[in-house]
Amino acid sequence: MSPVAASLASAKTAESPDATTTRPIPSPEPRLVARRRPGRWAGVVAGLVLAAMVVNTLLTNPNFQWSIVGDYFLSDAILRGLVLTIWLTAAVLVSGYLLGVAVAAMRLSDNPVLSTVSFGFVWLVRSVPPLVQLLFWYEIASLYPRLSLGIPFGPEFVSFQTAHLFSAVAAAYVALSVDVAAFAAEIVRGGILAVPRGQVEAAESLGLSRFRVFRRVILPQAMPSIIPASGNLLIGMLKATSLVSVIAVQDLLGTTELIYNDNFKIIPLLLVATLWYLLLTTLLSIGQHFLERHFGRSTRVGTSSGWWRTWGAGLRIFPGRRDLEVTR
Amino acid sequence: MTRPLVRIRNLHKQFGSHTVLDGVDLDLAEGSVTAILGPSGSGKSTLLRCINHLERPDRGYVEVGGEIIGFRPDGNRLRERSPREIAAQRARIGMVFQHFNLFAHRTAAENIVEGPLAQGVPVRTARARASELLARVGLAGRDDAYPSQLSGGQQQRVAIARALAMDPALILFDEPTSALDPELVGEVLSVIKDLAATGITLAIVTHEIGFAREVADQVVFLEDGHIIESGDPATVLQHTQSERARAFLAAVL
Repeated sequence: MSPVAASLASAKTAESPDATTTRPIPSPEPRLVARRRPGRWAGVVAGLVLAAMVVNTLLTNPNFQWSIVGDYFLSDAILRGLVLTIWLTAAVLVSGYLLGVAVAAMRLSDNPVLSTVSFGFVWLVRSVPPLVQLLFWYEIASLYPRLSLGIPFGPEFVSFQTAHLFSAVAAAYVALSVDVAAFAAEIVRGGILAVPRGQVEAAESLGLSRFRVFRRVILPQAMPSIIPASGNLLIGMLKATSLVSVIAVQDLLGTTELIYNDNFKIIPLLLVATLWYLLLTTLLSIGQHFLERHFGRSTRVGTSSGWWRTWGAGLRIFPGRRDLEVTR
Repeated sequence: MTRPLVRIRNLHKQFGSHTVLDGVDLDLAEGSVTAILGPSGSGKSTLLRCINHLERPDRGYVEVGGEIIGFRPDGNRLRERSPREIAAQRARIGMVFQHFNLFAHRTAAENIVEGPLAQGVPVRTARARASELLARVGLAGRDDAYPSQLSGGQQQRVAIARALAMDPALILFDEPTSALDPELVGEVLSVIKDLAATGITLAIVTHEIGFAREVADQVVFLEDGHIIESGDPATVLQHTQSERARAFLAAVL
């Protein structure tokens, strides 16, 4: 037998199931064994005990009043609030990001007027708490009771009362969109700046138009750094819509407040809202995961083995040689 | 030889207070190969980048095929062209970069078709052409490889195929082998050498003196933004006139 064949044969023996229980068969090539991690196993045990305690208290503490949670979880009022939360989030996301990309493009423009306007916008919006902005938009009628369209310092053509301009929902939509736009602009700007200059020059040297360079070369390569931060922003935004309950908009939280102010079942109703926010955030996180995978395809080497395999490998659930392959 | 394809006249470029190009005059004959040599910081890359208007000159002009690049003559003035016109001019000039600059999110074939697609070439035609060009640079069948899966030499050959896809009359090479492992330099130089025989005009910024001597029709030596020597390779490389150029050549050879 040639030396190569001999080492292949011994490798085969080492992989057989009883190789881990019996002493290794002497062979010319020593086997590589990954370091054991007893601390991680201790962590798993501690974690399981804590999880059991949490489940136990959730099930046995009567103050959670799970039956009431069940009664309200799918009730009409809550679902109406949920729908409002979802579409407000979606609408704010779309308009916020459209405005945000424009603001980022202005900031990166070599036109000093545009970049200054963009800088000022981001500075102002980021400096004022979203709740304060929300109240300003809602109370705009007290600031400017009448708005008019005309020549500055000259005659007016149209004018209207601001009191009729902004309903509570409209004020919420505008305030949150403006807030998201400022943060989205910074995220998009960061992503664009992360694209190497050479990529743009290569595209320009091929005679691509500026718009085409942006759409086909810059944006796809900015996405991997834009998406994680945007996922963060979107989830924050979803939860920030609960601010609108302050101006009496019947979103998810607003509805639950309305109900518990009436029946004083505060904890179970807050649980209803919590469970829905958990569910929505989980869905968004899953969507983010797939988006990241989509835009990471050119840089990933090999195929991902799934988080459960990686997790198991971290604990050395799969013994020996395979650990090294999985965690490499 | 008739009118040169590229005529560079009195070209000046400053970055801040630093003068990079200080009055460069240079002609590239149609179908010729020009090697641009010189120490780093002498303005070689800037000169090349002015030819396709990646840098805007401060004075003077570059003319390619009888058309001034980046500017439109208007009486006694040169007015800067619109981005669209500049893009159309660039589409006719190929460029190969030191660091390849392949689009990292696109496969080899997708990199090559990007320019033709922007010109309105149908996808199918562009794809077929990309496969042909890959074969021509010795990468047949690697259409679907991402840049991260290719060696430096292979990436640079894809970059050359990408430039060729636009059917340029002129290709600019900015130190095409400087970022490569020594053993990969040869494969890229041999592709460039093949191009030299096809009648495409080439301008190559390089430190490969041996290659310049073998392939170039004209060698230009740049120092502090001036051309201090130029002529056929034998004259410039063997009977070097200036002290500075002699010292540089002694150091790199």
